[in-house]
Amino acid sequence: MSTIEQLERRLERERRARKAAERIAEEKTREIFDANARLQQLNNHLEELVRQRTAEVAAARDEAVRASQAKSDFLASMSHELRTPLNAIIGYSEILLEESGDLVRPELRPDLEKIRGAGKHLLGLINDILDLSKIEAGKMDLFLEEIDVAGLLADVSATVPPLMAKNGNLFEVRGNPDLGTARSDQTKVRQILLNLLSNAAKFTKQGRIILSAKRLTGGRGDYLEFEVSDTGIGMTPEQMAKLYSAFSQADASTTRNYGGTGLGLAITKHFCLMLGGDVKVQSEPGVGSTFVVTLPAVCPIAGETPSPERAEGTAGTVLVIDDERTTHDLLERELGVRGYRVVHAGGGREGLHLAREVRPDAITLDIIMPEFDGWAVLRELKADAELRSIPVVLVTILGDREMGYALGAADYLTKPVDPDALLGALGRFHAGNGDVPVLVVDDDPMTREMLRRILSKRGWSVAEAADGTAALSILGRTRPAAVVLDLMMPGMDGFEVLDTMRREAKWRDIPVVVVTAKDLSAEEVTWLNQHAERVFQKGAYTRSELVGVIHDMIARGTGTSVSRRFMEGAR
Amino acid sequence: MKGIVFTEFLEMVESKFSPELADTIVEGADLPSGGAYTSVGTYDHREMIKLVSCLSQETGISPADLMRTFGLYMFERFYVLFPQYFDGIDTSFQFLERIENYIHVEVRKLYPEAELPSFECDTSQPGCLRLTYRSTRPFAPLAEGLIRGCIAHFREDAEVEVEDRSNGQGTAARFLITQRGTLS
Repeated sequence: MSTIEQLERRLERERRARKAAERIAEEKTREIFDANARLQQLNNHLEELVRQRTAEVAAARDEAVRASQAKSDFLASMSHELRTPLNAIIGYSEILLEESGDLVRPELRPDLEKIRGAGKHLLGLINDILDLSKIEAGKMDLFLEEIDVAGLLADVSATVPPLMAKNGNLFEVRGNPDLGTARSDQTKVRQILLNLLSNAAKFTKQGRIILSAKRLTGGRGDYLEFEVSDTGIGMTPEQMAKLYSAFSQADASTTRNYGGTGLGLAITKHFCLMLGGDVKVQSEPGVGSTFVVTLPAVCPIAGETPSPERAEGTAGTVLVIDDERTTHDLLERELGVRGYRVVHAGGGREGLHLAREVRPDAITLDIIMPEFDGWAVLRELKADAELRSIPVVLVTILGDREMGYALGAADYLTKPVDPDALLGALGRFHAGNGDVPVLVVDDDPMTREMLRRILSKRGWSVAEAADGTAALSILGRTRPAAVVLDLMMPGMDGFEVLDTMRREAKWRDIPVVVVTAKDLSAEEVTWLNQHAERVFQKGAYTRSELVGVIHDMIARGTGTSVSRRFMEGAR
Repeated sequence: MKGIVFTEFLEMVESKFSPELADTIVEGADLPSGGAYTSVGTYDHREMIKLVSCLSQETGISPADLMRTFGLYMFERFYVLFPQYFDGIDTSFQFLERIENYIHVEVRKLYPEAELPSFECDTSQPGCLRLTYRSTRPFAPLAEGLIRGCIAHFREDAEVEVEDRSNGQGTAARFLITQRGTLS
């Protein structure tokens, strides 16, 4: 056998092997192609499945959103339904309390106080529940504005003494002088501090509660640190672990012994987080607790709502003579929002000088001041023929009320200043006690009656309308000096009334204060701030506050001729 | 049987003996495939038995010895062709223990229809590996050659005792491998 033949055979075998390999490769390729096609099909099927599932999930989500919306609507309307009668309970108990002095049976007073206290407590709970449900629904809005931190601190400190007194606690504020300003939500910061302080006051007996604040400068901007420490019952680590959960207090007996819903801290925590900060706690059972709130000086959240513009000095000028900065800050803010121009004097001599220069409509005067005290200032003011007629409100921690009146003071308030009381006093100088007309629009007869009684006690005449149509009909005939307007009414509601009033030239400048039990959205608040002078939540304001605002509004310009026409029209 | 066994076998015959001898046994074996093997193909294992038998006749070496020799040769070829199976393997025991659970698993991914022998390992005795071979085909001597090739690859000194478990059929055997040390 030749080598050539061998090689030829071998070549032939190799050739066939190659062809076989090619065939196998082709078969494998086809198999891969088919497998790919099957995979593709499976993939398409899976995508179809995913689409179906996504649609199901989306439907479930929409359903959940609808359910959540229904829950929010229910809560909003429920809160409205609850607040309206509560408003009546609180309002009437206040009327009775005020009048009980003249009653034959003054022993009813403590009972009335209990009714009012329980009403206010219930209102607080409703507001807390509503707040929490809004937070959970992501509907809690932030209203960012410039805050004078020291002023806020003073304001909070002025509010809490009654709370502190209840359990015989000593209260102390330690404010660093250079707290500066912050851009945040004032109402929420205030609520955070009040929640913590009321909490401390509740769980401390015969102890000491300290509120301190400082400004920290950090790499990522300034921070404000508020600290509330108490010498109360304290907490165990287990209790601290569930501290911020809603409806969870230390244990069931806590609720029995100390009251409350356990919502306050949950809300506090949420508010801190919303404002870009946090709240931390240190505690030891039997020793006390310390809550530390850290908030960025500039709240980092976008989409802020601009605060309504202040009317500068339309209500008049008030000269504040006081050597304490906190009083200046508090009055500047409280009077400023009500349209007063505030002029500041840090001492007696400066005060007299400014009184001559500015000729204010009213003066608030501190008694205890270094060098030239309030008594001396009051004597000089009353001795000066040109300044004698300016009403002076004494604002002081102690002093002799009789001596003040004897020296010619118009009113007397104790520190810390209750801004509502001061506004009430200022309003009285302005509006006098003439026959001034106010139109009350509310569908709830009890509320109308209550407002009538509150307002007529101040010497104003009151016309009533049960709905928007009736209100416009009265407005068509007369011109009130101010309108107190409810929002939720059958037929034409308060929004429509306000909108109509602001469109009509003859009604445009009639001041309107909205008193509503409705849970307002951010849009509604913004709209109302543009169209009404003031918005009050039913039950969440004091009578003196309402009266003060109406005083201011009336003081800004109405005449008795208008009032007479109004009275005739209304009757 | 996978084509690679045939192509490697013929290449061994060509290199260890001669291309002429390879041609002779292919022609003389009367193979259904005609001896045109491709490594990616699959062929009847009886063709291998015929080829070995022909080679035995031509060389006078027993078929079992030829298969053992082929096993030794084949193991080194494995190392050249599939180095990935040797990653992280330092001893013959490590490699042999991986045949069943790793190498055969990988083979089945590529050739789902492959009929593979089983290699059961028993390492209960330190320094000893008891490996039981079972197959539908009589290639126990080939398995022995591969085992010896493995030990040689890792340059180890080990004793391999073979115990036939198939009454001389060559379809089952137990190999007792005992380490003596490492060759320097």
